Amino acid sequence: MFDRRLIENFDWGFLVVILLICSAGLVILYSAVTAGHDGVGVHPLFKRQIIWMVTGLCIMLASVVIDFRELDKLNLFIYTLCVGMLVAIYLFGELGGGSRRWLVIGFVRIQPSELMKIALVISLASVYSTCVSMEGLGFRDLIKPAILCLIPFGLIVNQPDLGTGLLLLLIAGSITLFVKVEKKVFFTLAGIGFSIVPLVWFVGLKAYQKDRILTFLDPDRDPLGAGYHIIQSKIAIGSGMVMGKGFLKGTQSALSFLPEQHTDFILSVLAEEWGLVGCLILLVLYLILLFWGLNIAYNCRNTFGSILAFGITIMIFWQIFINIGMVMGLMPVVGVPLPLISYGGSSVVTNMVGFGILLNISMRKFTN
Amino acid sequence: MVNDPKKQIRQRIFIIQILLVGCICLLGIKAFDVQIFDFHDLTKKAELSYSKDLIIKGERGQILDRYLNKLGTSIDAPTITANPSQILDPIGTATALSKILNIKPKALEDKLSKNRQFIMIARKVSPTQATQIKALGVQGIYLESDSKRFYPNRNLAAQVIGFTGKDDSGLEGLEFKYNAILEGGIVKIRVKRDGTGRVLDINKKRRIELKGNSIVLTIDKKIQFLSERTLEQTVKAQQAKSGIALVMKPSTGELLAIANYPGFNPNNFAAFNKNTYRNRALTDAFEPGSVIKVFTVAAALEKGFTPKSIFFCEKGKYRIGRFTIHDTHPREWLTLNQIIQFSSNIGTAKIAETIGKKALYNYLTDFGFGQKTFVGCPGETNGTLLAYERWSKIDASAISFGQGLSVSAIQLISGISAIANDGMLMKPMLIKKIISNTGKELQVFAPKQLRQVISPKTAAQIKTMMNMVVQKNGTGTKAAMKGYTVCGKTSTAQKASKLKSGYEKNKYVAAFAGFAPQKNPELAILVVIDEPTKQHYGGQVAAPAFKTILAQSFSYLNIAPEKTKAMIAAVIKGEEH
Repeated sequence: MFDRRLIENFDWGFLVVILLICSAGLVILYSAVTAGHDGVGVHPLFKRQIIWMVTGLCIMLASVVIDFRELDKLNLFIYTLCVGMLVAIYLFGELGGGSRRWLVIGFVRIQPSELMKIALVISLASVYSTCVSMEGLGFRDLIKPAILCLIPFGLIVNQPDLGTGLLLLLIAGSITLFVKVEKKVFFTLAGIGFSIVPLVWFVGLKAYQKDRILTFLDPDRDPLGAGYHIIQSKIAIGSGMVMGKGFLKGTQSALSFLPEQHTDFILSVLAEEWGLVGCLILLVLYLILLFWGLNIAYNCRNTFGSILAFGITIMIFWQIFINIGMVMGLMPVVGVPLPLISYGGSSVVTNMVGFGILLNISMRKFTN
Repeated sequence: MVNDPKKQIRQRIFIIQILLVGCICLLGIKAFDVQIFDFHDLTKKAELSYSKDLIIKGERGQILDRYLNKLGTSIDAPTITANPSQILDPIGTATALSKILNIKPKALEDKLSKNRQFIMIARKVSPTQATQIKALGVQGIYLESDSKRFYPNRNLAAQVIGFTGKDDSGLEGLEFKYNAILEGGIVKIRVKRDGTGRVLDINKKRRIELKGNSIVLTIDKKIQFLSERTLEQTVKAQQAKSGIALVMKPSTGELLAIANYPGFNPNNFAAFNKNTYRNRALTDAFEPGSVIKVFTVAAALEKGFTPKSIFFCEKGKYRIGRFTIHDTHPREWLTLNQIIQFSSNIGTAKIAETIGKKALYNYLTDFGFGQKTFVGCPGETNGTLLAYERWSKIDASAISFGQGLSVSAIQLISGISAIANDGMLMKPMLIKKIISNTGKELQVFAPKQLRQVISPKTAAQIKTMMNMVVQKNGTGTKAAMKGYTVCGKTSTAQKASKLKSGYEKNKYVAAFAGFAPQKNPELAILVVIDEPTKQHYGGQVAAPAFKTILAQSFSYLNIAPEKTKAMIAAVIKGEEH
């Protein structure tokens, strides 16, 4: 069953890009956690991240073995499993930072909302692959995907983790648009979307979430409170200038001005220490990664594979865009990690699984 | 127009690639904007947020006794602060901290739950509490280097040392008087701090560098202690109001002990009556009574009389104008020796009449009465000694036996020491030297001779008279100590009435001043007991306390007994038995 042709088709270039970004991520993380660290030896967070990366790479390579088309058949099972974990959070979840996001299994802490992204992408790809048409999807075709979306969305927003919830909708929306919808469907949905915004603002958002959005619009309105992250992050990035201050030389991040500097705000460490040059190199690496993903989608002859590859790529894209946009002050602060750079096991594993699937599809692009 | 959905998808991928490039470019442009164009503004902001002007105050210097025992010192007392935004578990943290710090958990919990970057939890906690808090290892709780004043000997010499207030500046005693010397240096520096507002590194090191100077006193902790113990026992036994005991080295004027009772604990001064803060040996003036007679007699000797000169003592009753002076034991003729030995009021009044107001005033002034000694404690009194021109006839007589003038205990011990020191008045010394925080001697104070008040010959004659006081038939026999020739003078002064003119019936100040050994006095001691109620004679109340302090101090200082003829005789006798 395991064809020699598959190995010949293995996408080594893609793997190299992934490994490059991973190494960059480790270098930045090392600086982020070492600077303020008083203890001896390497910071435990850094060790853990290495373990996670190795684990992720293994899972990625392992997921290459099974034909991606098996996922088509298994999609409902995977989806149900992830939703099950989200429900389990309500029962056994661990509190952290004011919300329930973590599930502890043995000695591993899992963030099911991260894994949910992949599960949703697979399910949507599976559903859409059966109903692609020239005219696009009608209302009726969208009922099932909508249900698939809203269940995890509701569960995640309730944690509460609005950022990840919205990210889920963004990914689902992108895939849906990618598959193409009928014009009337598009306009109706757009109309509903715009009318819902004020409703959400006045009813749906919690005070701190409103605060973040208002603060995004004007960071100086609360420099020590909600605006703190944005201001400090911009200061850190700005003080990096063109060439940066050098490895481990960042003061702003070293002096723990930046909370979450090893997770969501890790880009500011990069920007401060490696400057504009470092930022642009990372952006270029990401761009190559994304193009590669899109190429895989382009080259795949199987519709499910194509949509799946696109879905995963767009998932990576939105994370990158939202995270960097947030750190640069382009959008409000939401808890979205930077793929392969930010600290976090679930995020690393989810992204690695995604890349594994992309490699998988790439290897089998000639199958129908 | 393509008509295969698969091809359509491919087309769309192309469009999406363009969009992605656009988005990534947007991020790149924003990065360029922030890192290049906003750079100046942002660097300035960064500078502001991680540096901060800070005033660092060095630790306060120490107050040491003559052998460098710590009397007042500073101990590490870190200040506990918190960054609530970093505290993950406010309830648990509050519970743990409140147990250590003895504060209400609820209030602390509210504080820790606030959405702020900095709160103050407790100032100047004890080192044990600090270690316990450190051991908790809670994120977001910080210990900042600070120190607080600590008096390891509690009540010991508390009125001399004084204490400091919350901001570590002296409020009473030497802490107040020498605040400028003791105080740590202050520097304003620009320090780096981290996002939590914590000041990095330097603080502790700089505080030690900036530590203030220390002062070394002439006080001997042991003698101070035994004086205080004896004084307390005496005041309690006599159910007296208060008491003062002073120990001085006559040859140098160094004060070895300044004891005041009742006292207070400077570590917890707020719990005590403010009246106990005063160093009454210097701040309070009292009518000295008969002790003054030795100075009156000294004046007479200087004016040409001899110890054998006799004065008529009017059989115990002597009228001056509308006043009558009494003697406890009526006599007819008394020599100068006997006037001291029996403490005759009429005798000294006669002396005053004979030598005149001016001479008496001059000698008393020369002995230091009516002026501050400038020993270095705050709030020192002058005492009252009116200019002789303003003395009425009775005033001269009264002053000659210690009424109608007031003195401080420090003036009295200095005057007595001058007699012990062959007539040379020394400036009382309390501060021996000032040393820097590295131990360098900045200023060393040498004993200072003020003036030769009386001739050594006169001094020797007075000493002999004072020795007779403690011998058989004298008023101060209870001060006598085997093996040493003790010199002294008792005093039992009625207290002047506060309400009416004249004196209170049953309120006395009992005192004993003296020194030993007669030939080369090592120590001069003054004991003053205010309002004793059990007994009231100086010879009964103050003399035993004098003897106890003298005996214990001599034993501590290893001062060998004198080999008097009587003793040698006693030893030989003992061998015979």
